[in-house]
Amino acid sequence: MHLSDKRFAALLMVPAAAFLTAFVAWPLARLVIDSFYEISPIKGGPREFVGLANYAEIFTSESFLGAAGRTIAYTAIVVTAEFVLGLATALLFSALGQRSSVLRTVFLYPLMIAPVVAGLLWRFLLIDNSGIVNHLLFRAGLLDSPNQIGWLSDPDIVLWAVAIPDIWLTTSFMTLVLFAGLQNIPGDLLEAARLDGAKAWTMLVRIIVPLLRPVIAVALIVRGIDAAKAFDIILIQTGGGPQNASQTLSLLIYQTMIRFREPGLASAMGTVYLLAMLAVATVAVWYIWRPGVDR
Amino acid sequence: MKPRSVPAARPSNRRARTGVTALTLSAALALSACGAGGSDDVATDDGESAAGAITVLVEGGGLAELQPVADAWKADTGNEVTFVELPYDGLYDRLSTELASGNVSFDVAALDAIWLTAFADGVLPLDDMFTDEVTADLYPALLDEAKVGGQYIGMPVWTNAEVLFYRSDLFEDPAEQEAFETEYGYGLAAPTTWEEYRDVAVFFTRDTDGDGAIDMYGTDVKGAVETEWLATVLQAGADGMVLDADGNVIIDDAAHKAALDFYIAPLIEDGSAPEGAAQIGWAEAQNLFYQGQTAMMRFWAHAYTQTPEDSAVFGKVGVAPMPAGPGGIGAVPGAWYLSVPTATQNTDLAKEFIQFAFDNNELGLNTALGLAATKPALESLVGVEGHENLAALIETLEADGTMPRPATDKWQQIVDTVLVPMLQKAVVGDADTQQLLDDAKAQVEAILG
Repeated sequence: MHLSDKRFAALLMVPAAAFLTAFVAWPLARLVIDSFYEISPIKGGPREFVGLANYAEIFTSESFLGAAGRTIAYTAIVVTAEFVLGLATALLFSALGQRSSVLRTVFLYPLMIAPVVAGLLWRFLLIDNSGIVNHLLFRAGLLDSPNQIGWLSDPDIVLWAVAIPDIWLTTSFMTLVLFAGLQNIPGDLLEAARLDGAKAWTMLVRIIVPLLRPVIAVALIVRGIDAAKAFDIILIQTGGGPQNASQTLSLLIYQTMIRFREPGLASAMGTVYLLAMLAVATVAVWYIWRPGVDR
Repeated sequence: MKPRSVPAARPSNRRARTGVTALTLSAALALSACGAGGSDDVATDDGESAAGAITVLVEGGGLAELQPVADAWKADTGNEVTFVELPYDGLYDRLSTELASGNVSFDVAALDAIWLTAFADGVLPLDDMFTDEVTADLYPALLDEAKVGGQYIGMPVWTNAEVLFYRSDLFEDPAEQEAFETEYGYGLAAPTTWEEYRDVAVFFTRDTDGDGAIDMYGTDVKGAVETEWLATVLQAGADGMVLDADGNVIIDDAAHKAALDFYIAPLIEDGSAPEGAAQIGWAEAQNLFYQGQTAMMRFWAHAYTQTPEDSAVFGKVGVAPMPAGPGGIGAVPGAWYLSVPTATQNTDLAKEFIQFAFDNNELGLNTALGLAATKPALESLVGVEGHENLAALIETLEADGTMPRPATDKWQQIVDTVLVPMLQKAVVGDADTQQLLDDAKAQVEAILG
């Protein structure tokens, strides 16, 4: 039987497509369908079509809007910090050249730690009364008492505190990606700029960053999506508290579905969350990366 | 870092589409990964069940309690019990997802009291097991709680309640006793009233090593959990916790206000509790006490037998009922119930096991948890060395003020979104407690619809 290349390619995609249909498309379709119903949390209970009522409820709900705002803030904090630190480290490694190989390996270790473990570790470091960080600051004379900073109990700073382990954990990922990108910048280009008298800052802003643009876009999108769905690392540190000040959308959806047992409402939240992520990713792709446009 | 191009008529568009598809899928995967976990499709094997085996879903403490029962059951009947042990939150999540899917992997589940109403529709009524003999052996608060919608849906197997733990070495030290009596005009002993409790807490708050920072506090204030405050509401003589018997929201009444003021007083007024209360829950309070940083701790009775050997206070812990407020002694019982999911095929054997666990309730007393639920079982070890906590537990369970939490399936939501955030605002210090309670009332009414 003669098979055209196109058909052969299509045939090769069948297993993956079947897998994705069963495990991604179908659950997603169910998610969207469920969001239009009020559903009993026990199997066999009533299931009532309520149209857009669940959506109306979440868009007027303080907890949903609050959690959405906190998710954006958390993502911005984490991604910005990781990008700045990651780029600085990547430039340092690049400047060190071969001598940085041991440092690069050591720097990657946090990436291999499970988020739950990192969250727990930092919880012990930051927690009031017995946290090591506050005790060290107190011993160093920077604090008047070991309880002065309530890292995890002060609603005003808790979002920053829960971001610390995430930054600690994944800055190395950012470094890794950006370092790989730096390797691809032609040396003669930098050499030419240097001969033209460009200073380090000019070279960074005018040459390195523009050439790194696709790499930066990928790194920011991947980390942005990852940070926006932060769950375990926050759950283990604060459980979303105090006063819900560290509750992000994924925690709220989990809480609504599992603890408050409202599958319909949780599905609506999940759908909105999904659409928002898709919109952000699409915009990011077109405006930052522009695949297919050869620069 | 561009996607690898594939031979196609219009490479740029194709590449673009590949990129968008990849992103769409990654976002979709990201979302499905953080959604609620699906149920484990490990349905009970019917063939195996017929041969006399059941699966019991328990929390860690429950496993210790039920293992001797399962061993005795096997010796008696030959029936096997397989335990599936999960951490507390994991157990709730598992029950929630499995009962929602209607596909359960267990025949009996140990349910915490606060979950009964939420899961009532997914478990079988057990009314036929509650004979007069059975009900006579159980504390009224546990019977009330086991009944949801007019039917008994869970058999209590062990119960807990908060009691007061104190540093017996300090309380029995003649020098401390003399100093206390000189300062307060009465003898130093485990406090029996709210006033005494605050006095003792202030008395033991001190800088022991002279470095200018307080090393030992009198007690703790827990802002991350709500049950202890609810107990003080009962001690204040309230008609109910948050809701009265008719379902009216009474969280703004005088008793709730008195309870809240008393609850935060050691932290706000007396300075006899450590800062950071918003994140102090059960585990943190235990850490403080076991490290010798607090002289008193209100905690669940089972902890009496569990003081770690390497703790600074090992062998120096005394136990008494929690101090009484204007309404007397009161606490929220922390009972666990065995229930049978409607979806299991193994109903008869499951009920048989529950009956056996009830009949042999005393087997749980010599376990790590060391608890039971029936009056005869608990009373059997009163006065026996090493079980001093049982007398305090029984006195608390028999007190008029002791009652179960309100039976509403929205309870968990009320706790998570109203009560705990309210306590966390209260422990900040500059809050108007009446205003907090008024706001809480509006929020609870909104949740209940």
